[in-house]
Amino acid sequence: MNVTVALPSKGRMKEEALAIFERAGFPIAQSGSERSYRGRVEGREDIEIAFLSASEIARELGRGGVDFGITGEDLIREGLADSETRVAIEARLGFGRADVVVAVPDIWLDVTTMADLGDVAADFRARTGRRLAVATKYWRLTQQFLSATHGIQLYRIVESLGATEGAPAAGQADIIVDITSTGSTLKANHLRVLSDGVVLRSEACLVRARCDGHAEDARVKEIAEAVRGAVAR
Amino acid sequence: MPLIDQPPFADELQAALAARGGEAVSVPMIQPAEPFLDTAGEDLRRRIFMTESETGASLCLRPEFTIPVCRRHIEAAAGTPRRYAYGGPVFRQRREGPREFFQAGIEDLGDPERAKADARVIGDAVAVLETLLGDGLSTTIGDQAVFEAVVAALGLPRGWQKRLVHAFGNPVALAAMLESLADPQPADDLADARAAELVASGEEAALARHVGARMEETGYSPHAGRTPEAIAHRLMEKTELARTRLEPSALAVLQEFLSFDVPLAGAPSELARFAERTGLAIGEALKDFSARVAALGHAPIAAMHYRAAFGRPLDYYTGLVFEVTDEDGAVLAGGGRYDRLMTMLGAAEPIPAVGFALWLDRIERARAKR
Repeated sequence: MNVTVALPSKGRMKEEALAIFERAGFPIAQSGSERSYRGRVEGREDIEIAFLSASEIARELGRGGVDFGITGEDLIREGLADSETRVAIEARLGFGRADVVVAVPDIWLDVTTMADLGDVAADFRARTGRRLAVATKYWRLTQQFLSATHGIQLYRIVESLGATEGAPAAGQADIIVDITSTGSTLKANHLRVLSDGVVLRSEACLVRARCDGHAEDARVKEIAEAVRGAVAR
Repeated sequence: MPLIDQPPFADELQAALAARGGEAVSVPMIQPAEPFLDTAGEDLRRRIFMTESETGASLCLRPEFTIPVCRRHIEAAAGTPRRYAYGGPVFRQRREGPREFFQAGIEDLGDPERAKADARVIGDAVAVLETLLGDGLSTTIGDQAVFEAVVAALGLPRGWQKRLVHAFGNPVALAAMLESLADPQPADDLADARAAELVASGEEAALARHVGARMEETGYSPHAGRTPEAIAHRLMEKTELARTRLEPSALAVLQEFLSFDVPLAGAPSELARFAERTGLAIGEALKDFSARVAALGHAPIAAMHYRAAFGRPLDYYTGLVFEVTDEDGAVLAGGGRYDRLMTMLGAAEPIPAVGFALWLDRIERARAKR
């Protein structure tokens, strides 16, 4: 059986992923045109390359549809329940860096820590008649971080699939949990990250689906080690 | 009523609940999800079965009965006092084990005589369980109002009182809170120099104006969520909290209180002695507590005990909490007073509310063992 590797299908993530595989000794040729969603490694008929969107890669890894994938850790942790048991992060690749953070309106001068946020959330309903509203596309990470890690129960998630930083100003939510690389968009929207409000430091990773048979497959070990070697160089 | 898919003792149970004056009420199995998430918090989402209506409204399989029964009461604009009896399947997401359970119970709404109403539901739960199981049950009683009174009497700032009360019933959070009270950390420095000045000089009104002006500059609508006054007030409070240290002697008093686990019959006098010895003014809460114990009258009070740290970390619980367990420690019934719930669910006026739920599957297992 071939080993399948899923790579991002477009943008800088794709360029960087191709580059790292090249450095690892697996130069990838895209079948047919640039637009094709299939690829192969020259001289390695036993490795198959699939180009997918980053979130699809996370999903395919979760159901074991591919052996390896390059995608953001945020998508793995958010997209898969029990990600630890279903996938293994083989290498952190050093690109696509961004943090998932809890950010509040800068004018909330009294809120600098998660403990402050807990106080405000506990009181929110009594003061405003509704629960504290959190805009995010990261349901799972938000629940884990607020509820499990920081014991904050009294809030409501408002789903936000784009331009989340604008939600507080637009009155759709009070605070946000979102991904940021430089923080400049947050600043432009008068939002501030809490001092202990980093939910996840994410970057692109080589992720392996935990499949039966991987332990005996020399190619699985070979790919993981080669990519790790390429990152170290 | 279906004749299958019910616990074998359903008839006996229904008769027992009716004998306690419960008016049988039925609520749909499919419920709007909002009221559950809004009262219990977002974390509940993982633990209920949710779906969407064709128009996009969030729905769920009922995870319990209290909220649907209370909402039904509000919608029907029924007068009070009222006693409702309910029973049927409830649904909870779990990794392992069954996801459907049978619950039955009573909701007692609108009785202004709280001590009597509390005693009545405890008596109901115990009596119904004894009908089904015989004796050998034990009942644990907790009281959030007594805890709140102790915390207030210790003279802590309001902000600390709120934090402690919020953590009541969650031993891990409460322990962390007590630790930071014993060893407070200084608050972070304010990046806003003018605000820092106003905090230092204690000018709360000027601070609120300053916050309001900054809100205007940055386009934050003061009607959207938090007002300038609320932010200024909490900023002052936070500075005070960071300065507050709970004296070791006061901490010891609080910890002594939390360690109380005594037979219920002797609990009022035990608490009175504690108050006298420590000089804590908790008279009002103690009066209510004692009235409840007195109202329990002929209930099998010998098998009841009071555990001071027993509470439920949900902000609509206000006073009594209790549970009934069998010899193996399985919780067969849980209940309490939630005077804040009815207004949260949309009632125009506060309505006192107290009730309990029986876990019928556990009762069935307990019966099988007897």
